[in-house]
Amino acid sequence: MAWPETIIRVLKSYRIEFINYLPDAMGERLLKLAREDSDFDLLPLAREEEGVGTVCGQMLGGRRGVLLMPTSGLGNSLNAIASLAIPYKIPLPMIIGFRGGLGEFNGSQVMMGQAMPDIFRAMRIPYFILKREDEVETVTEGFLRLTFSNEGPAALLISTQLAGWKE
Amino acid sequence: MINMLEATKILVARLSDDDLVVGGLGNPKFNLFQAKDRPRNLYLWNAMGMASSVGLGLAMARPENRVVVLQGDGSLLMNLGSLATEAWRAPRNLIHICWDNRMYELTGKQPTASAGTADLARIAEGAGFEKVARAETLPAFEASLERALAEDGPWFIHALVDDQRAAREYPPKSPTFIKHRFMSDLGAEI
Repeated sequence: MAWPETIIRVLKSYRIEFINYLPDAMGERLLKLAREDSDFDLLPLAREEEGVGTVCGQMLGGRRGVLLMPTSGLGNSLNAIASLAIPYKIPLPMIIGFRGGLGEFNGSQVMMGQAMPDIFRAMRIPYFILKREDEVETVTEGFLRLTFSNEGPAALLISTQLAGWKE
Repeated sequence: MINMLEATKILVARLSDDDLVVGGLGNPKFNLFQAKDRPRNLYLWNAMGMASSVGLGLAMARPENRVVVLQGDGSLLMNLGSLATEAWRAPRNLIHICWDNRMYELTGKQPTASAGTADLARIAEGAGFEKVARAETLPAFEASLERALAEDGPWFIHALVDDQRAAREYPPKSPTFIKHRFMSDLGAEI
């Protein structure tokens, strides 16, 4: 099973219903599957920060969502993560297409991509990087398990080693 | 001109215990607490701009509950894109009220763009809200509210309010207390 199918299957097993998203090429691999699956309800956002609010609202209402976004979206989301998901202790699973790293063609992506791990560390946000097909299931499942037990944000990064880089 | 506290009292008096209210940061939240503290009030501390997005998420998760968002003009201006997202999704159970005092009152009454050229009701219409009400007086606000409570939404109510600062009686400060009280009352577990 290819990585997008595996991630989608694990999301379903964790009763994730809402996929709140801003698209990128990596995320589209997941969105394509989710659109065809009646277990998922997709919410397109205008800015990733909104997704922090919508996921938190869904969780407070007792139903589960994820925030799917590109690397640059993390920068757009930080105060909402810091002032909502963290202090209110709301699970916020973020699935992020990792840009600005290995194979990046666009120099404007690099700063955010290189800073992202340090931002996660500074905010004590657990993050995990998917690099190989054979670890996708375990890492995705472990990421969700931790997100819900920790009641806070956590990130799953889809690397270019796994998904390929943009030409 | 509408007084935010008086209007908030009228609002909460008309709500049922089942209805969910998101109190956006600043005066909207303080006035919500002073009008009536209730378990299903979700008070947002500092999460700038997020009231409308949290309200949308709640409305999606709880289609059986009415969700009322109380958000100041400054907060809405920070998250204008959320109007487009709300209108496109169009949850029937959502009432988005913008208390527009045309200033960042708490930080020293600096003007917002709505003191200048921005018309938030027209922006909501442009975003795709089909039900938009404007109120400059308390009776007009009450009339708008009656309609919004009677007809399917999503509704956007733009209420021009005076510059009165809410009294310094604060809602619960612990975010986790607010969350647990809210979710327990809903019987929600995640």
